[in-house]
Amino acid sequence: MADYDRRPYDRPRGGGRKRRYRDDDDDDHRPQRRRYEEPLVVQVRRQLLTLAESAARRVEDDVQGIAKTVVDNYDDEELRETFTNISIDLVLEQPMKIPFVATTVLCAHDLKPELGTEVINKAGDALQKYIGSGSWREVKLLLRFLGVLQPAFEGEGIFPLLEELFSRAVDLQTASSEDLLGLELVKIILFTIPFVMLSPASGFDSQASALLEKTDVIASTPHPLVDLVNTFGPEDNQSPAGQSVISLLQTQLQGEASRGWELTCLPRPWKHLRDDETGEPRLLENVPKIAFPHVTVPNPVKNGARTLFPEVYLSVYADQEVDTVPSPSDIASSLLRDALVDTINLLSFNRVATAKFLIDVDCYFPPHIFVKRATPFDRMRELAPEDRAWKPEDVAVDAVFSQLFQLPAPEHKLVYYHSLLTECCKIAPAAIAPSLGRAIRFLYSSVETMDLELTYRFLDWFAHHLSNFGFTWKWSEWVDDLDLPIVHPKMAFIHGALDKEIRLSFAQRIKGTLPKAYQSLISEGKEKDTPEFKYLAEMTPYSKEGQEIMQLIRKKASDEEIQPIIVSIEEQAKDLGVEDPKVPSTDALVTSICFVGSKSLSHVLSCIERNKERLLFIGQESPRARCQIITSVMEYWTDQPGIAINIVDKLLNYTILSPLSVLEWALSESMEAGTILAKTHIFEIITATVGKVTNRMRQIVAARTQPTLYEPQLSVLDETLSRERSDMQALFKFIEDSIVSVAAGSNDEQMERGDGSGDLPEDAIIRQWGRRWLRVFRRKAAVEDSFITDALANATAVGTVAPPSAESDMPDAPADAGADGDLDVADA
Amino acid sequence: MSLLAVNTVDRLDRPSAYYVGKNKRRRHEEEQRQHDPVDKLRNATTLYVGNLSFYTTEEQIHELFAKCGEIKRLVMGLDRFNKTPCGFCFVEYYTHQDALDCLKYVGGTKLDERIIRADLDPGFEEGRQYGRGKSGGQVRDEYREEYDPGRGGYGRAYDEQRQREEDEYGLGR
Repeated sequence: MADYDRRPYDRPRGGGRKRRYRDDDDDDHRPQRRRYEEPLVVQVRRQLLTLAESAARRVEDDVQGIAKTVVDNYDDEELRETFTNISIDLVLEQPMKIPFVATTVLCAHDLKPELGTEVINKAGDALQKYIGSGSWREVKLLLRFLGVLQPAFEGEGIFPLLEELFSRAVDLQTASSEDLLGLELVKIILFTIPFVMLSPASGFDSQASALLEKTDVIASTPHPLVDLVNTFGPEDNQSPAGQSVISLLQTQLQGEASRGWELTCLPRPWKHLRDDETGEPRLLENVPKIAFPHVTVPNPVKNGARTLFPEVYLSVYADQEVDTVPSPSDIASSLLRDALVDTINLLSFNRVATAKFLIDVDCYFPPHIFVKRATPFDRMRELAPEDRAWKPEDVAVDAVFSQLFQLPAPEHKLVYYHSLLTECCKIAPAAIAPSLGRAIRFLYSSVETMDLELTYRFLDWFAHHLSNFGFTWKWSEWVDDLDLPIVHPKMAFIHGALDKEIRLSFAQRIKGTLPKAYQSLISEGKEKDTPEFKYLAEMTPYSKEGQEIMQLIRKKASDEEIQPIIVSIEEQAKDLGVEDPKVPSTDALVTSICFVGSKSLSHVLSCIERNKERLLFIGQESPRARCQIITSVMEYWTDQPGIAINIVDKLLNYTILSPLSVLEWALSESMEAGTILAKTHIFEIITATVGKVTNRMRQIVAARTQPTLYEPQLSVLDETLSRERSDMQALFKFIEDSIVSVAAGSNDEQMERGDGSGDLPEDAIIRQWGRRWLRVFRRKAAVEDSFITDALANATAVGTVAPPSAESDMPDAPADAGADGDLDVADA
Repeated sequence: MSLLAVNTVDRLDRPSAYYVGKNKRRRHEEEQRQHDPVDKLRNATTLYVGNLSFYTTEEQIHELFAKCGEIKRLVMGLDRFNKTPCGFCFVEYYTHQDALDCLKYVGGTKLDERIIRADLDPGFEEGRQYGRGKSGGQVRDEYREEYDPGRGGYGRAYDEQRQREEDEYGLGR
């Protein structure tokens, strides 16, 4: 029996749980598994990384435990370094943990000032580095960390540095009223103050008030660009948005100062520390004092890689009968949002971990500010006023939406924020899904007034999100809106969303998810895989020739074989008095290509490839015929605009179409009295086309501003840049000129509609579309223009010749940077 | 974006354990090889995309994957014998960053209501678009014992065996 008992320990275990590979063979008899003793450094590392993550543990115990372990083993250099490095890494990557990490460091500092000094100096070095490189978010986070450590500093601690940053801000603001870097510095100062005042240190009220008094002028003056990035247009300004983050924060801080810095929304982990031996409360106010790390602020300061824009505060939960998120008058709205947004943007490389942090938001703030997770909205209504608290899911989701709807662009690709919301929904469906539902209702109710670009982002997210959750949505609640005119923004949204859903799935599937009233929106044509070829109908002009061309393209016939039929169409057209005979012949050719290539994108691409020369020639010969290429594609795929957009995009890459021709097609040929502006896929195609041009422009700017670029390449690139820049400006001017008349109601076609009074109910809607389009493209033009101007401000001047040493060091350096000044659009 | 060299949580834009493992084993055989296989992915712009439904179209893939950047090329995985889609594809972007973003933001989400898998790939080569399974599809669709309507039902080899057993059972009677 004893033998039997021992058996499992003699043999290698593992029982096939893990596959074994040849690597294992050299050591056939694996030693028995011993009880694994975690090395101290691994243990501390894990404890520190997961600090405050568990609601089941008292964070105060961990804070004290970690500090004590590291102090007790102060001679262990690896342990000390791990503690220092991870503390600072956490500050820079998981900002919600800063108060907890800082408390741990304060505890350690209290027990062993050498250890605290080491961490503080390391933080000072990092701060110096990031101030130098203009990485302002990192600066903000390190200042927050050092702000909580205020009791460890002699004299005024962090304040002299804040004062110095403020004086830089003043210089920048004085130099230019459009300055944004100075505003950013003030924002950083404002976001630091509450943490200093929160810290165990006391007696700094006068310094804080003095600073706040000074920042007031800068923070409260609206920046000229705020209107450009506002969630809502100027005419439709609504309460939930419009205030800039910085002016809001200034007001909130002043309120907080007048209430003696209650700061009820922030955690104070040091409040509940107890001495291990005596059990007495342990106060960290009187820890040993050291000098604040020496940091030089360059003069003038510079901005890092991220372009700055004013930020406005947006909440999708602002208009509810019961508050589920802090109101903009409460400082919690800014402090919670800031910590969450930084977490979201810093951890973009792991959406699963980020989603977990968002769901666990209530672990990192005082417990009383939130209701229990997944508390239904209806129950929140019943809460007694003294039990009122915020809904953690709403606060978290709101922060993601604030990024998804950030203008002019969020830090990461939009799809990151989509995937983050999907992940949140996967981790805690019962808690998150209802929050998203309420957000969707708010956004849907705002589709008439919200910035058009944001409406489009909403639509794109909505369809993508549903595609991850079985396309289930309570469509029935919008049923009444189906009676609205087709150009109404709500109808445009519904049509656009369904089209996007179909693109990610297929028409029949989506039809199955819709209530009866919506069925007619999915036309028969949408359910067809291959749209009809119009030349098969004898009624169609040139039907015989159209069919012949189609057959030839299908047979992959040569250009010479196609040519006679093209000529035949053009001759007939001439006889019929068609103004440009190339138009009907192009229609037949392109429609045939679409039909033969209708099986898939690769099919149509190879058809285009085979007929590329002919298509290129059309564009050079006749602008009208070039326009017809787009018309034919859009008409053939009229029921599946996604495919048409894709094909047009590829035609642009082949330079068969020019960006301007796409704009001309949409905004002059097909304007249809402005009604085209209500179609979401038209907005999509124009945005994509403009995006192609601006992307290319940015690549040229990047090439032009390389620090190692010298003559003669410098001049070549500079010329390319000026040429392309004016092309781009011409493009924006064309959009402006085409739409401005629609917005004003003076478009010719518009005037001819109805009785010409411009009083048809739809006329007002169309004028509104015009204004919304203008706003979007004026913003894009301004953003691109300022990007180029800023980049060129620091670029090497034309005429600069390589210094002799550099020339001998790297003779080929500029050559691989597209020195011929021409980048292939297809590769752009 | 974090500026740290080593992050406090794992990154999703790393080559998968499958890729690393597959190449590690191969390296064991060819001990001469100097190059780290992960090195080949340093500037990779291509992704292998798996667990697609056989019915998912190029257009659907395009619609989703273009959210991470312009697509340079899309190669559908085909059954070696009937040249029909067999549930995988290669997506090539113009930039390495777009491919990494795709790993982070699209890998592990749903397309056509299936969780898809994305893995960084050293680059498409002619021939790789075909399934390597015995019957022409992907190897994983040979022996699968679960019924997957999006991927041809049961695994083909498994299904054949099932069918055979059923027939033999009838004969035995």
